[in-house]
Parts: sequence; C-alpha cells; structure tokens
Amino acid sequence: MIFSLNLSFSDLLLLVPEIFLTCWLCVVLIVDFVSPRLPKEQLAYLSVAGLAITLGCLAWFDVSHISGALFGNMFVLDRMAIFFKVFILGATILVILSSVEYVNRFTLFRGEYYVLVVMSALGMMFMASANDLLSVFVSLEFSTLGFYVLVSYLRDDLASNEAGLKFFILGVFAAGLFAYGISLVYGETGQLVFSEMSSAQATPGLIIGFLLIFAALGFKIGAVPFHSWIPDTYHGAPTPVTAFLSIAPKGAALVILFRIFLVALASFKPVWVYLLVAVSIVSMTYGNIVAIAQRNIKRLLAYSGIAQIGTVLIGLAAGTKMGSDAILFYLLAYLFANLGAFAVVIAVSQAIGKDEIEDYRGLNRRSPFLAFAMLLFLLSLAGVPPLAGFIGKLYIFVAAIKEGLYTLITVGLINIVISMYYYLIVVKQMYINEPIDPSPIRISAPLKTVIYVGLAGTLVIGIYPQPFTDWVVEATLMFSNFVTPSATALPSAGHVGS
Amino acid sequence: MGEHALLYILFAPFLGALGLIFVSNRQPLLVRGIAASAAFVSLIASIYLFYAYDPVKGGFQFVEKLEWSRQLGISLHLGVDGIGTPLVLASTILLFAGIFVSWHIKDRTKEFYIWLLILAAATIGVFMSLDLFFLYFFYEMSVIPMYLLLGMWGSHTKTYLEMTDTEGMKRRDSVGFIFNFGSNSKEYAAMKLVLFLSAFAVMALMGILLIYKYSGLNTFDILVLREQANLMNIPVLGTTLDKIIWVLVFFGFASIAPLWPMHSWSPVGHAAAPAATSMLHAGVLMKLGHFSIIRVAFEILPETTREMMPIAAVLCMFSIIYGGFVAYYAKDTKYVIGYSSSSHMGYVFLGMAALNYISLSGAVIYMFAHAMATGMLFAMAGWVYDQTHTRDIPSLGGLSNKMPFISACFIVGCMASIGMPGTVNFIAEIMIIVGSWNKYPLQVVVAMLGIVLTLAYLFKMMRGLFYGPMNQKYGHAHDAISTVDRLPLLIMISVSIGFGIFPMHLYDVVRSGVDPLIVKITEVVPVAQSGDGAGPPSAIGLPEIGTTPPIVANKTLPTPMLTSPGGSE
Repeated sequence: MIFSLNLSFSDLLLLVPEIFLTCWLCVVLIVDFVSPRLPKEQLAYLSVAGLAITLGCLAWFDVSHISGALFGNMFVLDRMAIFFKVFILGATILVILSSVEYVNRFTLFRGEYYVLVVMSALGMMFMASANDLLSVFVSLEFSTLGFYVLVSYLRDDLASNEAGLKFFILGVFAAGLFAYGISLVYGETGQLVFSEMSSAQATPGLIIGFLLIFAALGFKIGAVPFHSWIPDTYHGAPTPVTAFLSIAPKGAALVILFRIFLVALASFKPVWVYLLVAVSIVSMTYGNIVAIAQRNIKRLLAYSGIAQIGTVLIGLAAGTKMGSDAILFYLLAYLFANLGAFAVVIAVSQAIGKDEIEDYRGLNRRSPFLAFAMLLFLLSLAGVPPLAGFIGKLYIFVAAIKEGLYTLITVGLINIVISMYYYLIVVKQMYINEPIDPSPIRISAPLKTVIYVGLAGTLVIGIYPQPFTDWVVEATLMFSNFVTPSATALPSAGHVGS
Repeated sequence: MGEHALLYILFAPFLGALGLIFVSNRQPLLVRGIAASAAFVSLIASIYLFYAYDPVKGGFQFVEKLEWSRQLGISLHLGVDGIGTPLVLASTILLFAGIFVSWHIKDRTKEFYIWLLILAAATIGVFMSLDLFFLYFFYEMSVIPMYLLLGMWGSHTKTYLEMTDTEGMKRRDSVGFIFNFGSNSKEYAAMKLVLFLSAFAVMALMGILLIYKYSGLNTFDILVLREQANLMNIPVLGTTLDKIIWVLVFFGFASIAPLWPMHSWSPVGHAAAPAATSMLHAGVLMKLGHFSIIRVAFEILPETTREMMPIAAVLCMFSIIYGGFVAYYAKDTKYVIGYSSSSHMGYVFLGMAALNYISLSGAVIYMFAHAMATGMLFAMAGWVYDQTHTRDIPSLGGLSNKMPFISACFIVGCMASIGMPGTVNFIAEIMIIVGSWNKYPLQVVVAMLGIVLTLAYLFKMMRGLFYGPMNQKYGHAHDAISTVDRLPLLIMISVSIGFGIFPMHLYDVVRSGVDPLIVKITEVVPVAQSGDGAGPPSAIGLPEIGTTPPIVANKTLPTPMLTSPGGSE
C-alpha cells in the first residue's frame, strides 16, 4: 500500500476540527499548569468553548457539504462522520457541563479531568472518520486510554478503582481480539480499507476475523454477551464519566459497525443478519429483565443501556439505509434522554450523596423540576409518546418491518412493556412515595443547563422530528450505493397516497 | 373558530397544561381558573363542532392535514366523522365536569390539573386522528397520565376482592384474580393498568406495522389505506394475513374497552383513581377501545371484520353477565360502578358485532350515553368518598338525610345507567337490542338479563348508600351546596336527558358516520329509512330506492327506535 502524502491545504481543511481541538487541548493543559490558582470551573468553560468552536466548524462543514478522504482512504470525512462528530462533541459538552460541580469530589488532578475528557472525545472523533481497520484500531485505543483513567478517577473510592480495573482488563482483552481479527482479515483479503473488502470471498479466516472484530466492538457498545463490564464500571465510575461512557463510545463504535456491516460486508447480509438478530434479542431481553432487579439507579441505567443497544441493533439488522437512518435518529433521542437522566442522577447525588433508587423517594416534593425532568427522560427511554424515544423506536421498527424481521420486532415490542415496569418503579419512588427528608434540593447552574438541553431535545425531537429525520437521512446518503436497492428509493411525500 | 375547530379542541387542554407549568401552586384559584378555562374553550369548540357537523354531507369534516414526517409517511391528519364527533363532545364535557369535580383537591393541585388535561387531550386526539400513527401516539400518551393520577391522588382499595353474597359466602372475580398478586394498593392498581394497557397496545402496534408494511403504500393515513390497501388473501402461518392483523388490532384495542377476559385492570384502576380520573377513564378512555377498533379494523379490513366479528359477539356475553354479577357482589362503591362499566361496554360490543345500521348506531350512541351516566355515578361516588372517606357500602347508609341533592342526582344517574326512557341511554340500548335481535337473539336475551342485573346492583348500592339506618360516624357529611359542586352533575344530567328527549341531531350525526361503514362491511345499501315500519328487505333491489344516496337520515322519523329491525337486514 502506497501513501501519497503530498497534502495540500485544502486537504488539511478536512482535518481542521481535529487539529484545532488538539491545539486547544494543549492550551487547556498549559493554562492549568501556569495558573494553578485558577478556579477549575474556568477550565471547564475553556474546554467547552474549544469544543463549541469545533462543533461550529463541523456544522459549517455539514451545511456547505464539505467532504473527502485523506491518507489513502484511511481518514474519510463524509456526512456520516460529520454527524457522529457533532454527536460526540455535543455529548462531550454536556458531560463537561454536568461535571463542573462533581469535579470537587476528586482529591487531585481536577484540571486534568477536563483534558482527559476532551482527549477521549478527540479519539472518538477520529473513530468517526476511520475508514480502515488500522486507523479504527489506533483511534479506538486512543479514546479508550482516556476512559481507563477517567473511570478510576475517584482515587480513594474502592468501587471506582474496581470499575477501572475491570474496564481496563476487559478492554485490553477486547483490544487483543480486535488486533487478532484485523490480522486475520488482512491475511485473507490483503485489504485494510473497508470499501475495498466488499468483493471478498467468505473464507473461514475472514469469518472468524470479523467475528473477533464484532466481539471487540460489541464490548464497546455493551451488547450481550460482551456486556459483563458494564454494570460494575457504570456503578463505580464517577457519574459524569458514566454518562459519557454510556453514550459517546457507543456512538463512535456504531459508526464502525456501520462501515463494517453496511460497506465492507454488504454482500454477506443474509449471513450476518442472524448474528445481529441473535445479539439484539439477547441484549434487549437480558438488559430489561435484569434491570428490574436493580436497586441502584446507575446500575439500572446501565442495564437499560444494554437493552437500548439491543434496540439499536434491530436497525442494524435491517441493514438498509432506512435502518441506519433510524439508528442515527434513535441515538439523538438517546443522547438527550440518557445524558439528561444522568444529569438528574448527579444533581440528586450531590444533594444526598447516594445513588440508590430508594433515595429518590418523594423527589417530586423536594424538587418538582428534577422529578419532572427525570420522568420525561425515563419515559423517553421507555418509548412513550410524545417523547423522542418513542419516535426513535417506531422509526427502527418501521425500518425493520420493511425487511420482514417479525420476530425481532415482536421481541422489541414486548421489551418496551418490560422496560416500562422498571422505569415506572423509579417514577413511583419519585412521585408516589413521600420523602423522608423533605428539604429542597439545590441544582447548580451548569447542571440545570444540561437538564434544560436534555428536556428541550427530548420534547422537540418527539413533537417535531422532521428537521432531525432530514438530517439523519442526509447523513446516511453514502449507504445508498451499498445496500439493497429497495431501501434506496426513498418515499417522498408527493407519491404517498397519490 | 370555524374551520379549525378541531385544533382548538385538541390544543386548548395541551396549552392549558403548558401554561399551568409556569403557575405556582400557591395560587390555587389561578391554577383552577386556567384549567377550567382551557377545558371551557375545548368544550365550546366541541359544541360548535357537534352542531356544525353536517350529517347530510357526511364523511370526514373539519379535516386538518399537516405533514409530520416525510420519511415515515406520517402526517398529523385530523378529522371527525359521525362516530368521532359525539365522542369528542363527550370527552370535553367530561373534562369540563371533571375539573369541577376535583375542585377541592389540595395536594399538588397544579400537577393534578396538568395530568388531567393531558389525559383528556390525548383521548380527544384519538377520536380525531385519521392517521394510524397518531391514533397510536395519542392512545399510548393517555396511559402515563393515568399512572400518575392513580398513584399520586388515588386511594388504596382496601376491600378489593372481599365480596360477599347475602349468605356471607365469599365471592371473587376469578378471572381478575389470576392477574392479581394480592395487592390492594393504588400503586399496584396503577402499575397493573399501565402494563396491561401497554402490553395490549404494542400488540395493536404490531398490527398497525403489518398494515403499513403489506399495504406497501408507505403511509399511515387511514383514508389512503382504506381506499388502496389490499391486505386480503396473503397466506401466512396457515391462515391469511388479514385475519392475523385483525386479531392483533381487535384484541390490542379491546383490552382498554375492556372486553372479558381482559377486564381485570379496569375495575381495580377505577377503584384506585380519584373521582375525575375515574370519570374520564370510564367515560371516554374505555371508548378508545371501541373507537379504535372501528377506525382501524372496520375501516381498513371491512371483509375480515364481517368474518371475524362473531368473536366479539361471543365474548360480549361474558362481559355483560360476568361484570354484572361481580358488580352485584362487590361492596366497594367505585368497584360496583367500575364493573358495571365493563359490563355495559359489552352492549357496545354487541352492537358492533351485529354489524347493521341500527345496532352500530346504537353502539356509538351508547358510548356517548354511557359516558354521561357513568360520569355522574363516579362523580357522586367520589363526593361520598370525600365526605366519609370510605367506599364500603355496608358501613354507609342513610346519607339521603345529609345529602338530598346528591341522592336525587344519584337516582337520575342510576336511571340513566339502567336505560330509563327519557335518557339517551334508553335510545342507545333499544337500538342495540332491536338491531342485534335478528343476528344474535341469544346475546340479546343475555343483554336483557344484564339490564335486570344493572337494576339489581345499582338499586342495592343506592339503598346501601342513601337509605336505611344512618351510620352516626358520618354525621359530619354534607351535601353539594355550592355551584362549583353542583355544576358538573347538572351538566351531565342535562346532557343525558336533553339528548334523551331530542336525539335527532345526535342520531343523524351518528348515522352519517355509521352508514358508509356498514355499506363497506356488509355491502348492503341502507333502505332509505323504513320509517313506515314495513320496508321489506327485498326493497333494496327496487330501482327507485337503489338510486337513493346511501347516507340519508330521515328527518321525519320521530324517534329512531321505531325503525323496524327487518328493514336494515
């Protein structure tokens, strides 16, 4: 493979967001060093400013349709990559805002916390653009490196250390599987770039290679049976990190799953659809049933996250453009609802110091705003209209039923009902039970901002989804070349019913 | 107003709920004022709608269409026909009355009204949706407010399952018992309601998704689907697809109706709910089931409906008799009314199953009539509970001395529920019975028995509450004196009796909705009203009658029950 590295400035333009963010990261680090007396909130806002500028730059790319590929197709900037970069940056901004107050719990290295969060975000931005197996591996490990540290950031807390260790050991194991998978795939096909593998023959080596890669990515998104780290890690990690972990890496790993399944392996769809159906069914059912038994809100959200990923995989199993539209849309809904829910968890744990579901007793009396916000976030996760999660689930089901995945949809629908139960248990604690200590709960301004953003997103996407569906449809246009023709013909409203 | 009446009706409660968010609970009068004015706007608009609806023109009127999602083929398509119009009116009346019934709620007043308004708006939304997606959207949206209303402002059902007959023998709802995990708490009732309804709702959603897929039209629009969708004769799993869809849709929606044996959530929910919620629940929420079956199954799968509707005819017998007997043995006031509602909903299924003009019109009018009657009863049971803090009938008695107005209204409520001539219930009942006689004589006999049972348990409850020796513990109870307390009852009574005496417009409106449906399902063109009572069925073939447009309501007919059943078959 020969790289032509004669980069022009217009090529570098595609890398501007990443380059800028890297420089900004260094600035934040230097500022932290040279003025140690600076309040750490300022660092948070400084990081948010950098992320926001990057976000603005990407939005400009999106509007002016800038796209292209660099380094011999290792790095692509297509609409999909832009979507996920915006997604990851948005999540990072919300996570940083929700950690402003929480950071005071850390005994040391409060400034570096923000640097690590932004660093992980940077890694995930590269993941969104990675178009061959090597760049996927490097960027994936780069982003995970930040997470290993972040998860065990509560130095003196045993649970946090355990979470970090568990995450690290399993993460390294997954990285090993991934590397082995890459070597097998490369050995069989002689290719590393996804789009050039589509003509490969189904040899045992290739199948095993891709299964190993799928296992590693399944670890990232937390699908059953690669989920075992999720509950303990979510439970032990600092809550903002849990929030970050629950959304951004899943988004980043899904881009890669898209590129593998819908681009590299598009011709093997009849084979891998069974794999995805099985993983999806098991994830949904396991996640939801085990969530019923949880006593801790972070564990509950962890298991609910496993179930949500199962739902997302329904869309991937559909394997059409519409399926990927639905997944992108669902992720948007999930972003607002999940980060919002974690923001409420942070607010409550700041006031009470614990995360047990019991502690939510009578939250409605102590802080009607928090209780109402949590209610809407949980209902959106459960998929109740008129909230974003409902439209997301319906979008996925519609995409799947067009491909005739009846079993999967039936299981998905049953799981909506199961999930309703445990979300309502929390609602019951908040609204029906009376508080033991009725003192009001104070919410800090940045946290309130996050909750407002979450509420706005959850309601607006649910009530007026058209701009968002337009956006996701544009973001997946690249797939119309690869997937079955039935899905490429988008129904336009003019034809409907005429 | 005018053309956009539907938007006012639907969005006034939503906007009222939104406005309430910004009001403090420390100003209870402002809170109630906003809620009442939102409901009032909705009520006025729906009265306008009801009288502006043109039954001669028929079809869907006041149509609004806003594109909502191009990719999924969803539009916010609203419109009412002769079936939706009276139900919208019933919902807004009950919402308005419910606001006054719950005037004295002290705990978290604001939140109560927010959820009540959302609940009512969601049910209204179902009655005017012409898009399968939005039908489901509003349907499912009505479930969560129920959970919170029951859980936060409801009351525990202490005497649940403790039913004894005159010899002191224990009785129980054995079908409901299967799903009962021995809990009498309101939390249990609320959770049971949500899980039951959601479980069956996703079943209906599966049916809707199958319609979407196999129609191949990329749309959820009911009007497009009913014209163009061809779902017949697709073999699936040893049967045909249309039957599977029909079963999914029918049982999915029948659970909220509630059809036996899927009724067990309903009386428990009624009993735990606060008065206004029970009113909306029994008054309109249960009708979502029948309405959605008519809108989805009848409109889109007419031939399958003709073939499969006997299922409903069989199950409705159990509903009527079973519900009636349990209501007879129950000792909890709301429990009695709850089971009576689920028993009376069996009549609606009977009217729907017989599939002819008279019976289906009767079923629709019955939905409207029952909303008023059961609304009254629940409002008064709520009043008695507020005064005495018990719903245990044996421990009550002699309240007529303390509350003469309530007991007088209660008698009217019972009369309406039984179907006394002079109330709109009578018209509906007689139409169902007359209309179904030819096709389902056995069921009609059962329905008659059901009326006798209704008489028995309502009179038993009335005697238990208002007559006999007074329990001195409740000496402090007082009557509804203020206008605020009397207004809701007076509204519902006047509507019930008003339409009982002047039913023509209601009848015309309902017929204009029912006629095209029955034409589609049975392919029998209605005789241009056999008002002379001698219109033989063979008259259909006569050319001069055959040219009559199918949607004709005879203005000269004094009352609909004079219509001969033979003319419609």
